[in-house]
Amino acid sequence: MLSERKAQEEMVGFALIMIIVAVIVLIFLSLSLRNQEEEIVENYEVDSFIQSFLMYTSDCADGYQPRYRTIEKLIIDCNKHETCLDKRNTCEVLDFTLEEIVNEAWKVEGDRPVKGYILQITSGNSVILNLSNGNTTNNYKNSLQKLGKDDIEIIFSAYY
Amino acid sequence: MVIVMKNRTGQLKIQQMAFMLIAVTLFFVLVGMFFLVVKFSNLKEDATGLCEKNAQLLATKLANSPEFSCGESFGSSKVNCIDADKVMLLKENIAKYSGFWGVSNIEVRKIYPIEAEKTCELGNYPDCNIIKIRSKEDTSAYLSNFVSLCRKESYEGTVYDKCELAKIMINYEYGEKC
Repeated sequence: MLSERKAQEEMVGFALIMIIVAVIVLIFLSLSLRNQEEEIVENYEVDSFIQSFLMYTSDCADGYQPRYRTIEKLIIDCNKHETCLDKRNTCEVLDFTLEEIVNEAWKVEGDRPVKGYILQITSGNSVILNLSNGNTTNNYKNSLQKLGKDDIEIIFSAYY
Repeated sequence: MVIVMKNRTGQLKIQQMAFMLIAVTLFFVLVGMFFLVVKFSNLKEDATGLCEKNAQLLATKLANSPEFSCGESFGSSKVNCIDADKVMLLKENIAKYSGFWGVSNIEVRKIYPIEAEKTCELGNYPDCNIIKIRSKEDTSAYLSNFVSLCRKESYEGTVYDKCELAKIMINYEYGEKC
């Protein structure tokens, strides 16, 4: 009878310890979730960059002048293999324009904080554009944006 | 004799419980101290980081405020889109906005296409690439965010939308907010 009571006491003690450990785990979990929210804020710059370059007006006219394609339209039309009014390939214009834009916006040479970048535009399994410069590191910010109905994805990563 | 034995067992149990309580308290105190040390060691860095994030968010907020944003002038409503024509007029009336945004400098700098640096005035607009909306002397670093700088252009009498890549750059009034 006495040993049974002792066993019950030990069980209660064990349960208490388990509850305390669970509470501690919950506290650490909530702290780690807060850190994830901060990372979302940090990606603002990369998000804004993608949104901004998508609106850029290129010199590739669509049918007549001055109906110029934006980068967003260039990506969609490059995926459909269309050409500009001056017979240039939309993919060539997209490649040239985006390379210049990214090089100018994310300079990697010298002692600059940005060490490298990767810009990838895909449509399903096919790659529309793949640009990279500098080195990749473990400290990076990236963003993904989807376009239209053709399952087009734009992924940009900046390495620090 | 039996009473003495019972007393001893009781004392032992009390001792056991006391040690256990001390051990548990010590454990929590140590965990608490470890947590506080980790938390407070990064306090200054956190404050600086938060300040930078806040400024970056303010830059985005400014770009999307009615005084700057494209609204629906260039098709559907867009995020991070600044109406250059609107901003040029705002620059001329900036005295009316004294202390409104709590920033000492606001600048919109065109990044692409690449051009030689030229500050915008009503006389040379749009053949320029830096719109200084508010500029006071301030040594603190600029905080910036990417935006699309759009305006109405004309080609042989036809008006069309032209958007370029730019950065909105701000710094706080004498570092008061940081």
